[in-house]
Amino acid sequence: MANRVQIPTSNSALIAMIADEDTVVGFLMAGVGNVDLRRKTNYLIVDSIKQIEDTFKEFTTREDIAVVLISQYVANMIRFLVDSYNKPVPAILEIPSKDHPYDPAHDSVLSRVKYLFSAESVASGRR
Amino acid sequence: MEVVDHETPSLENGKTDKEVEENANVLQFMDSMDAYLTLIHSLSSTLRRGWLELASARHSMGASRVNTVLLDHTSHPAATSLLVTQDEGKVDSGKPHFTLCKWASSSNENSLLGEKQSSQDKLHPQLRHRGSTELYEEKTSSENKASREVDDPVQKERSKSLSMFGTLVSPKLRAAQLSFEAALETLVEIANMRSEMLCAFDQVNMKLAGRKDEK
Repeated sequence: MANRVQIPTSNSALIAMIADEDTVVGFLMAGVGNVDLRRKTNYLIVDSIKQIEDTFKEFTTREDIAVVLISQYVANMIRFLVDSYNKPVPAILEIPSKDHPYDPAHDSVLSRVKYLFSAESVASGRR
Repeated sequence: MEVVDHETPSLENGKTDKEVEENANVLQFMDSMDAYLTLIHSLSSTLRRGWLELASARHSMGASRVNTVLLDHTSHPAATSLLVTQDEGKVDSGKPHFTLCKWASSSNENSLLGEKQSSQDKLHPQLRHRGSTELYEEKTSSENKASREVDDPVQKERSKSLSMFGTLVSPKLRAAQLSFEAALETLVEIANMRSEMLCAFDQVNMKLAGRKDEK
């Protein structure tokens, strides 16, 4: 009870996107696009790695964003940042892109849990 | 002669309660991981359909009409958002739960309108008599009218979302919009399954760590 993580609840949280043009355009057509008064958006059509890093850090610290969609090939460019992120909200979801199909081996969530299936963890449990 | 030992904990098929709980945690983890991968696979096929429809729309309308240059950069709120609550399933879960609110304000009104219409139909069932065909057609048309009324605000929101590409858009673009809406629903399920998987993983991890400490 003392270690319970408090989840920031919200009734109108945003879905942010860091992806290629077609994916972003598609989800914008589905109505997730938000532009605030300072003309800041909740999406990024990927360009440079530096911009991706800065945007990822921004989206994961904004309180109005609950989910961040990131194309897996983009996440691979900033893998160290994505793997080191461990907060429950916003949730980081790696999605496939047109030219790069989804690879479960690179998914940060599956990487976190896969050690349960490794020979080392099984052996250490038996000792 | 049987000797009953009252000191050992209750056994179920040779397992203690603790082991049964651990097995349940492991099963929950495996189930949520399987569901996560299945949902990702479903998302991939939905997105592929959406990209194909978008490419078809771009081909028929022209690349200049389906372009990021046309995106609306004026201040506007998102029409589709998320409701984030804390999952109260377990006392110490600390697990978020996401609910998709599509076309936000219009969908709340629609669900109320739809429920009202269906409850009215239940209270006044139509008796079969001569001319029942006409009655059936009238009832069908009134139901259709009600569903159209419910769908109209949502359709208006959808059209508004596509208006950045012009007034008349290709049917393929509308189809792409629906595909990406379906993808959003799958994504919210994935987000919930992800938090369930991580929660189950933490439970299993804690048990394993506890076992190592005991040894």
